[in-house]
Amino acid sequence: MDCSSARDLLAPYFDGELDRAASREFEAHLDDCADCRAALIELDALRRTLRTDLPRYAAPQALRERIRAETPKPVAARSRPSRQRWLALAASWAIAFVAGAALVPLWSSHGGNVGEQTARDLFAGHWRALAATSPVDVVSTDRHTVKPWFAGKVAQAPLVQDFADRGFSLVGGRIDYVGSARVPVLVYRHGQHLIDVFVLAQNEVGMLAATERQGYWLDVVTLGGLPAAIVSDMDASERTRFAQVLAAAN
Amino acid sequence: MSAAQALVGDLALRHLDAAYNLGRWLLGNEQDAADAVHDAFVRAARSADTYAGGNARAWWLAIVRNCCLARLSARGTEQRHVAIDQVAAEQGRDAADALLAQGDAGDVEDRLDHAQRSAWIRRHLENLPMEFRETLILREIEELSYREIADVLQAPIGTVMSRLARGRALLQKSLGPLRPNEVKHGL
Repeated sequence: MDCSSARDLLAPYFDGELDRAASREFEAHLDDCADCRAALIELDALRRTLRTDLPRYAAPQALRERIRAETPKPVAARSRPSRQRWLALAASWAIAFVAGAALVPLWSSHGGNVGEQTARDLFAGHWRALAATSPVDVVSTDRHTVKPWFAGKVAQAPLVQDFADRGFSLVGGRIDYVGSARVPVLVYRHGQHLIDVFVLAQNEVGMLAATERQGYWLDVVTLGGLPAAIVSDMDASERTRFAQVLAAAN
Repeated sequence: MSAAQALVGDLALRHLDAAYNLGRWLLGNEQDAADAVHDAFVRAARSADTYAGGNARAWWLAIVRNCCLARLSARGTEQRHVAIDQVAAEQGRDAADALLAQGDAGDVEDRLDHAQRSAWIRRHLENLPMEFRETLILREIEELSYREIADVLQAPIGTVMSRLARGRALLQKSLGPLRPNEVKHGL
């Protein structure tokens, strides 16, 4: 991607409007372009100034009471499916993270080790998925749909199991990118948390170590004989439990 | 139409701060913003059955914005600018005074700095033409997507993107180089 086409993508990227593939391409350009990185940093500085120093006016209590008084009592419970609401919730606040947090790992590890770069790709993939309309390309709670979907898309289809009985339900799967490799991702849900399990080939793991970024955690386990990276914002005990559940799967 | 009114009321309450914040930035003072939001609620409740689905928050904020624009044209152009500048000046001074009255020396310096920065950024944003100001508020503060902003402004996405770009460029130019913020990065 050359700089003039990248410039058109800069603001949409910063605002979380690019799809996964376009984000990847743009990030690759960023690795090599100090001008675009500088422009992105300036946009970020402006955004942070606006969000920190500008007052965000809250509605006066009197207005709130007035509208409440003029609203008839709600009748029934909301009918929107909980999964849709959760995705909308995840998308709406995660967009801020994609633009803000994803800037950081992009070039901080330039020339750094493979493990750092892999971690960067994994976090970026997770954040993009949170900001996207859907974190999965194949939706299913039935592993018999998800596993065959991977065939033909990746060299080796991952071990797919639903752990709903243990509190981690299978949402579906997608393909994401780590380094230059296409990688199967299994997506699980635990309460309000989205969990990505990136199933890697042996040579993609490198010096990948457990790490944390902006409240998101990366853990490395083995799934069906292959190394797998788990990215989520669960707390320590939930992460440990999920890692054990995965490790025991066969 | 009481079922529709219940839904609209619920929607309005859920996004009341967003509505009020938008109104405040368009109209420049508390009373007008509050009245405009209430106008919007009444109008929304009346037209609830015309809501065709799609993004409810954008539908609501579009109505809020239209009510604000109606007030602006009733008010007249010259008055609009005066009202904003006056209030901003008063608030900047009041905020600084209030902060000076509390806390010990070290605290006061930090907080006065924040009050100064707040007044400074507010002044620059108020000086932006309205179409840039509202687009920036919707994107940066209310965090609406391009599609949602287009729905609120009732304009094409291309217009949203170009207003955002020009608004950002104008604001960056008028603010000058920004102080690097203390940011908790993974660096």
